[in-house]
Order: sequence, then C-alpha cells, then structure tokens
Amino acid sequence: MPRVFITGVGFITSIGNEAGTVETNLRELRHGLATYAPFAADNIPVKVIAPVRGFETDAPDQEDWVIPAPYKIRRELLRGMGPNVLYATCALEQAIADAKLSPADVSNDDTGLYAASAGSPGTLTRSINRMHQMGVMRCPPLSVVASIAGSVQFNLVAHLKIKGSSGGFVSACASSSHALGFAFDEIMLGRQKRMLVVGSEDGNVDAILPFAGMRALSPNTDPNTASRPFDKNRDGFVGTGGGVGLVLENEEEVMRRGVTPYAELIGWGQASDGHNVAISHPEGLGLAAAMRRALKCAGMTAADLGYVNAHATSTPIGDVSECKALRSFLGEHAARVAVSSTKALTGHGLSLAGAMETAFCALAIRKGFIPGSAHITELDPACEGLNIVRATQAASPGVVLNNSSGFGGANVCLVLRPAV
Amino acid sequence: MSDSVPSIISIDKCAVKTPEVFSAEEEAGIRESLRRCPAKAVEEAIEFRKTGDPKHLPVVILGIFERFVEPDLRPRLATADSDDLRVIEDLGLDSLTMMEIVMLVEEITKTQIANDELRQLSTIGDIKNFVDCRARGLPSPPSATVFDNAALLERMPIQPPFLFLDEARVSAAKATASYRITGQEFFLQGHFKDNPVMPASLMLEALGQLGVWYLLAGLPVEEGKVVGSGTIFFASTDGVRCHRVCKPGDVLTLQLKPKRVKAPLAVFEGSIRVGQEKAVIAEEITLTFGLVDAPSPAPKPEAESAPQA
Repeated sequence: MPRVFITGVGFITSIGNEAGTVETNLRELRHGLATYAPFAADNIPVKVIAPVRGFETDAPDQEDWVIPAPYKIRRELLRGMGPNVLYATCALEQAIADAKLSPADVSNDDTGLYAASAGSPGTLTRSINRMHQMGVMRCPPLSVVASIAGSVQFNLVAHLKIKGSSGGFVSACASSSHALGFAFDEIMLGRQKRMLVVGSEDGNVDAILPFAGMRALSPNTDPNTASRPFDKNRDGFVGTGGGVGLVLENEEEVMRRGVTPYAELIGWGQASDGHNVAISHPEGLGLAAAMRRALKCAGMTAADLGYVNAHATSTPIGDVSECKALRSFLGEHAARVAVSSTKALTGHGLSLAGAMETAFCALAIRKGFIPGSAHITELDPACEGLNIVRATQAASPGVVLNNSSGFGGANVCLVLRPAV
Repeated sequence: MSDSVPSIISIDKCAVKTPEVFSAEEEAGIRESLRRCPAKAVEEAIEFRKTGDPKHLPVVILGIFERFVEPDLRPRLATADSDDLRVIEDLGLDSLTMMEIVMLVEEITKTQIANDELRQLSTIGDIKNFVDCRARGLPSPPSATVFDNAALLERMPIQPPFLFLDEARVSAAKATASYRITGQEFFLQGHFKDNPVMPASLMLEALGQLGVWYLLAGLPVEEGKVVGSGTIFFASTDGVRCHRVCKPGDVLTLQLKPKRVKAPLAVFEGSIRVGQEKAVIAEEITLTFGLVDAPSPAPKPEAESAPQA
C-alpha cells in the first residue's frame, strides 16, 4: 500500500513568509491582522484584514508591484499573474527548496501539480472594465490567464515544466483541501510519485470586500480581536490572502532522496451538506460525515485523534455548526481531543485555507506543539463539551484532523500523523 | 477576404490626416500608457496626436519596442540599421509580447492592426512602414510572400549544386532569404585545403541569386508582362565589404533592398548576416533583366462553380 508524505512546505502568509516565522507566530499566538488602508472610507463597514507582508500588489500594473527578496520574477511571467499567482509561485518555490527537489525532480512524468484559488477578481475586473471602456481589442492579451480561477495552475504548470497530472479545484473555502485530497489519491492510485499542491488568494479589496455584502465579515475595527473563533462575541471572519505550497511524495521517493518528511498524510474524506448555497448545515451533518470518512480512509477512529485544526472562521453560524459536528463525531472523545482554530491568527484564507492549515499542522507535528485558539475572551456556550485549547501546548499533537468547509456545503477533512 | 487591390486613388485623398481636438485627458492617457517608454517617445506621441503628422511615429514605435525589449538588447535599437531587426529572432520578443506592443501602438496611433496583418510584420521597419501608411491613409504595403525550397527549385533558372538559397521572403520593398552552409558543397573541398570556408565571391553570388528571385517573384510590372527568367544577368557590384568568415553550420540571412528598378536594370543594396553578426555588405548589386509577354492564364476548371451533388 503506497504511503504519502509531506516533504516540503512554503508560506507567503500574514503570519510569515517562511516556516520559522510562521512557527514562532503559531506558538506565541501572534496574529497577522491589521487595519487595512483601502477600507478607510466611511461607507466601508469593515476595517481589518490580515495582509501579506513584504509584498505590494495593489497597483494595476504588475511591473509596479513590490516583490521582496529573494523572489525575482521576469516580466514575461509576471504579466500572466494576478497577486494570487505571485504568492503561489513564491510559496511553491519555497516548498520545492524546502523539500530539496531538483528541477529534474519537479519536471518529469511522475510529478503533478494541483492548485486552488478563486482567481483574481481585481485583475479580472480591471481587464473587463478596460475592454468596455477602450474597446475589445484593448483587453490585455494575458488578462484571461492572469485572472480566471485556473490561473495558478496555468502559470505554475508552465513555469515549472510540470509533465504529470495538473488541474485546479474550485470549492471556495474547501478548495485547497480538495486539491490535497485528490493529490493524495493520485499518489495512492500509483499515477504519480509526487504532487505539488498550492493554495492561494489575492486577499485584497476585490477579493475580500464582496463578502461584506453577505454580512460575513467582522465589522470589528480592532485587529487584536476581530478574528476570534469560538468566542461568544465573534461577529464574522477577517479576510486574508497569500499562498501556501506543499510537496507530497510517496514512500519510495522519500527513501530514494533521503529526506525527512514533516508528516504523513494518511487519509481524507469529504461529504456535502445538500442544504444551502452559502450557509453551513445547522447541525453540521456534512462536516461530521466528512470527518468520519476521513478517519475511515486513514484506518482510524476518533479514539486515535490528538488534535483537530477546525475550519471555524469566526462567523456566528459556522462555528456553532462545526461544534455540533465535532461533538457528534468525537462522541466520548470530545472532552479529550484538542481543538483550535488558527484563523484567529491569520483570518480566513478562503481557497488558501485548507493548504495553509494543513501546512500549519505539518509544522506542529514536526515541531511538537498544538497551536492555541487565540482571542477567546468568553467561550461560546455552544462549544460546551469540546476541548477548545486557548493556549499553545508544547506537546506532540499525534494524529491530526484538518477541517475545511466551503460554499455549497462542501466539507473536506484531511488526516495527518507523525512520519515514522 | 476580398481579392480586390486597394485603389491607388485613395492616396490622393489624405496625405496627412486633419488632427482632431487634443484634450488634456488624452495627453494624460498617452503619458500613462507610455510611462515606461523613453521620454522622447512620449513627447513625439503627443506631437503626433496633436498634429497628425506621421513624421513623429518612428521615434514612438522605437520607444515602444525599447520598453518591451530586455535591457541587455536595448542598445541594438539605437543602431543605424534597427529597421532590419527582426522582433522575434533578434529582439527575443515572443508572440504575446508582440501583441502587447501592437496593442500599445494601436492605442497611441489610433490604428487597428488585424491578425493577418500582424503575421506579416517581422521587422521593426515593417511595423514602422505599416503604421506610417495607416497614419497617412495609404494602403498597407503588400505583405511579404514566403517561398519554400520547392518553389525556388521550380522557377529559378539557377539550380543545385549552384543554388545558394534555401527559402525566401519577398515583398515589393525587400527580399530576404536563408542559406545554411551544409559542409557538403563541392567548392568547400578546395576552399580552403583542410579549412572549409564559403568563398566571398559565392556569397555575392547568393545575393545576386536573391536578386534574380526578387525580379521573378516580387517585382510589380506592367500588365501582360513578366520578367523573363532567361533574361537576368549579373551587371556590376560596388562597395563590397566582408566582415566575417562563414563556415559549415552557419545559417546565412540574406537581404536585398531594391534601390532603383527600371528595365533593363535593377540596383539593390544587399547584406548577409549570420545571427546577429554582419558577414557581407554590398552597397550596390546590379542585375540586368528583360520583360517578356506573360503566358495566357489557364482556363478555370468548370467544377469549381458547380454545386456538389
């Protein structure tokens, strides 16, 4: 039976652009939220996001962007990118270096790439506006590949000369967990020996602000408390962007290359709510079913679990629904299994979330800690019976479950354990 | 596409377009669109839009290219023969970058360049000519026709082993061709002993052969006449300079530009390059030629107009 290991991670996130910084911030519960200048106008009811640090990508022309060292991207590549592709490129480059992959390890028949991103709504909007204002033939030639939902894999598969499987996943906030799950399958089925997986989002005005209209964003103006999953007074999520890349490899490749994996990905599962286009099932039925399937796929039960990285985004309805799902699934183990939401520190990365939090879990497994659920002043009574850990624990998390739920009631859960 | 040739009468109508009122917003738009181009290109673009005078366009077009070309290749644009630079082979621009350039040129000059027109524009000079004609309201220069080796073999009076053209592109303004020195050429056995080098005299011969092909394939002549393929002979050459030795494996890029063509004489200036390097320059190459009656066209087959079943 093939086994799948995580051998490299790369981060471009609000809490750090490399693994060391991310680990410190996770351990010390330092958040990446800030007052966001483009939301300053009085008629914008949201003031806080978790911005990516070191990059400036608000300019409409990519050549005006600020890209921090060591990343350098040639103009001919940059013109096909929205901010999401830029972040994905840098994060995946980091993950590839972290896994010590040579260019030949990346470009061959046995290595594929799956990506997840909702696209670049700002880039798309500017191109469409330009087309309407200046004429059809003035729409920038690369506007489509730079903006639509598949733009991350279009760019990366070409630039990295990927020869194996490729594709993208679009299930909103479950997207990059879907990408990881199907990448796992690709290796388990023997189709590929190695899969690169990357999730990314713009995390700017056009990517985040449309969620204000559906009353999903926190109107809280204080970056220190705006994102507080499981807190009684939570009032919506805080948006973020960035990119996170992971390298998955089969056992044979891990042995051949002599690398030390972060963790083993041992299974995944998904189930759908069949309930509402935007609201999670009030009893968390789909999510509970997804957790059961994931553990079954991994050949485990709730009794084996040590830690759940919850989807909990800090919305009033979503967090309650997940608490119900967790109680139903964990049963007698509910009071023991540690649960936290790292979204208190990062905000909600949408399509990026699953990959980002899986990489957090991989770090936690390798480094032996359980990140706490920050910013809880008063625990929501709906969390009763669950072991929501409010401080970071310096203990190996053991077997870890990472939850993601997306629009349309898509629920995806991934199971990781220490690599042995 | 219709087969009709653009009427020559349209030339009289509009030598220089009347400028429209040029607003501050338009100027700001031009400055924004060209902000990564050299300052003089921006000023010339504004002058062009104010006056409509196409004399401002060459600097604008060169400036737009400069903006998109990799910095290490930019000095080439400042050389005297920059019009001959091929945008893909010499400047390293891919077809998507060409589209970006075309879009900017269209925007600044308020012209439209269609896809099939774009495909015909291979050098900076081609693009300058094209835009200049558009700005003057003249018909576009006829596009170059590409001839493969088989086409050359069919119509050239010169044949292997003495034909030094692999393929050719011919327009009214220019002929280009390539020839790869294979190393199997008979003359290399003795030129030189143990050191095969294409003789300079044969490089000139190759340019002369391209002149023959230009006369046969590219020369506009009066109706009912063609250049007789047995009437073309070498007359003279002047100002020949050789810059580089050419050896097996080298791909020669030959170019001829007609300076004066009036039966019975055709005078060209010619050059041969290998990659970016100059190999031969000939300030003048003169051929003689004669016109003969065109053969009557073959009758059209009936089947073409008949419906299929």
